[in-house]
Amino acid sequence: MSKKIVVPGELISEERKRLGSNVFVANGKIYAKVLGVSDVSKDQASVVPLEGKYLPKPDDVVIGVVTRVVFAGYGINLNASVDSFIPTKAIRDQLRVGDLVLAKVESVDELKEANLIFPRRLIGGEVFEVVPVRSPRLIGKNGSMLEILKKGTGCELIVGKNGRVWARNGNIESLKKVIAFIEENAYKNNLTNAIQDFFGVTLEEKFPYNQQRNNRVEESEVIEEESEVIDYSNVGELNE
Amino acid sequence: MSKEEVIDYKKTKKRLDGRKMDEIRPLSIKVGVIPNADGSAYLEWGQNKVYAAVYGPREALPKHTQNPYKAVIKAVYRMASFSVPDRKRPGPNRRDHEISKVLSEALEKVVFVNQFPNTEIAVMVEVADSNAGSRVACLTAAACALADAGIPMRDLVSAVGVGKAFNEIVLDLNKDEEDAPDAVDVPLAIMPTTGEIVLLQMDGLLTRKEWDAVAALGIKGCQQVYEVQKKALTERFTVEELNKKAVEKAVGVEKNTKKEVVLEKKVDKVDKKEKESKTEKKGKDSKSKKVRK
Amino acid sequence: MRSTVLEYDISKVIELARVGKRVDGRALDEMRDFTITLNKFENAEGSAIVQLGETQVISGIKMLVDKPYPDNPNEGAISVGAELLPLAHGDYEYGPPSMDEIEVARVVDRGLRESKAIDFTKLCIKEGEAAFVAFFDFYAVNSDGNLFDAGSIAGIASFLNAKIPKLDEENRIVKQEYAGKIELKRIPLLTTFVKVGGRILVDPTYIEEKAAEARFSVATTDDGFMSAMQKGVGGSFTLEEVNYMIDTGFKVANETRKKLLKMVGKK
Repeated sequence: MSKKIVVPGELISEERKRLGSNVFVANGKIYAKVLGVSDVSKDQASVVPLEGKYLPKPDDVVIGVVTRVVFAGYGINLNASVDSFIPTKAIRDQLRVGDLVLAKVESVDELKEANLIFPRRLIGGEVFEVVPVRSPRLIGKNGSMLEILKKGTGCELIVGKNGRVWARNGNIESLKKVIAFIEENAYKNNLTNAIQDFFGVTLEEKFPYNQQRNNRVEESEVIEEESEVIDYSNVGELNE
Repeated sequence: MSKEEVIDYKKTKKRLDGRKMDEIRPLSIKVGVIPNADGSAYLEWGQNKVYAAVYGPREALPKHTQNPYKAVIKAVYRMASFSVPDRKRPGPNRRDHEISKVLSEALEKVVFVNQFPNTEIAVMVEVADSNAGSRVACLTAAACALADAGIPMRDLVSAVGVGKAFNEIVLDLNKDEEDAPDAVDVPLAIMPTTGEIVLLQMDGLLTRKEWDAVAALGIKGCQQVYEVQKKALTERFTVEELNKKAVEKAVGVEKNTKKEVVLEKKVDKVDKKEKESKTEKKGKDSKSKKVRK
Repeated sequence: MRSTVLEYDISKVIELARVGKRVDGRALDEMRDFTITLNKFENAEGSAIVQLGETQVISGIKMLVDKPYPDNPNEGAISVGAELLPLAHGDYEYGPPSMDEIEVARVVDRGLRESKAIDFTKLCIKEGEAAFVAFFDFYAVNSDGNLFDAGSIAGIASFLNAKIPKLDEENRIVKQEYAGKIELKRIPLLTTFVKVGGRILVDPTYIEEKAAEARFSVATTDDGFMSAMQKGVGGSFTLEEVNYMIDTGFKVANETRKKLLKMVGKK
């Protein structure tokens, strides 16, 4: 497994491999599509991006901001290339410009606009922004980093895949600093372990990530495959 | 100036500013200099100093400029009033418009534009100081700004000025050389990995044979520029192993004997809430389904 | 990345201002730190890059020879231009000068011109026939608010280091050769305030400007004069508030001036 900072157009593998994200093939060779960290293993080549806007994907949990209120619904900014839209009848609350909305991406249309489902208004708390493509590190493999942050700071915490982090209660000042650190060092090795050791928190045995660590299996730093673990039923509670 | 007419690089073997024929002026690039932009770069190339910023992909407005199949690359080239020996009047002139157009077209080839239909990617370059070769300086900076914005690209774009002055084929002409009686100026840009040409202009008189030498020298020059671009983009990042100490250094040590108790309590509270909410889960799920319909 | 201003951020600014606090932790009457890079741009007769917090401005002076105005035949002139480059913020657009650009240029211009800091008669070359016009132009490269004060600092820094071009027998400019410098008799500096949540904040950031009910700028000199004032944005100020801003303006500008003169190597 080799890792390297690559620029767009840089050759990352001359062999035939499965194509991961952010790579393209020309003349049978694999090249990087974006500025990022190349991740070439025996059978796959991909690039984890370092910069960039949010590209909506189905099932992403996102935090949007209301930018426009019209009769039929609300324009929602997701830090993506185009705004999304939530029809008035899809959401119980009356929204105003500037309100925060938690939602899930159901699908993405051919114009890269995200169709949002389960919209809920987020009340109170604070929002910080990170480079969207780096936000998966705040969630970590199987949600390990998210769990560490929650335990370490005592905050109620939601990480939107679009680079917005919402937090309420707990040690927000400390959370802010740690999040800035994670953002800055998102591409570096052993990040989750370093943060875990910093907070000195332990994760439950049943947590798959923890088992991995106990078995001394290196944590894979490939972040593209990670899935969001937010208990959606909890969101209603957070609003009250 | 009459004294220039007797200058012959074939005899002097050295250029007016002491460079070798195939040597570019000192080039340095810094990316991420404009925090508001999605991507940016500041470039110094000899006396040339330019800023480049990328905003986008963002919704292209007005709507009729949108293309449902691809993103529109909108490069804009402008010069500050004090960037030239005689003051430049505010507002774009015909030269600014032409350069904006050729820059847009050079960049369109490298960006995966079909990934972002209906959007525009705005690439703005501002020349703050100039001495021949400002358009290639701008294109070089713009390519870095695009990469810094995380935009998917086939390749970077590396550009250089090449041509003829004082009876010799030279790389990266400066103003004195552009003013030579036999001057030929060829702004050239390539995709460095494939060598494909994305910008090519020329003015002056050149033989077919001289062109071969100019093209070869230009492509060689672009490769030098590419190395500087690559360094500028990657030098901010170093792949390294992190540990607790690194976090403490950046964040500050948590002295939290007292805090921990408080935090524990809060964690408990959250846990309780989670449990409670789980019991309500069923009811809420059915509600959400209604919303979906 | 942070160029989308959200209503959410604005309400936070107002909320904090009500209790006398600011998002970046500054005191209400505290300027952001600034740096000046001098004479980076060699084609200019004098130039400066000013970084005020995250606001970045580039500026330069070009001196041209022109015929003096008939009503002041023995005086040269200055001209101030400002451009809010679309590089600097996602909200800015190319096009003819916007109202905001014209206002900021004119306020910076008045602060400088009306202070009589520059002796225009010294810019005269031959009475009634030739005089220098000093074109000072500044451009926002990254905008995080308060382009007034950033432009004013850039102006003083540029003029303090501007060289006067050498002329040949026919009063044409000889390129790259200089004869003397522009002298400033006093140093006027703008200080800009906004009113947010009933409080007065000095040196507003972009979001604070968006949250502002009203804005006020005052140009003050080192020898106790005010040379320009400008109230902007829809809201209003009481006379007490204006007096407070003038007094604070003198105080803040004095600090800024000390730092500026040290940075440009005068005093």
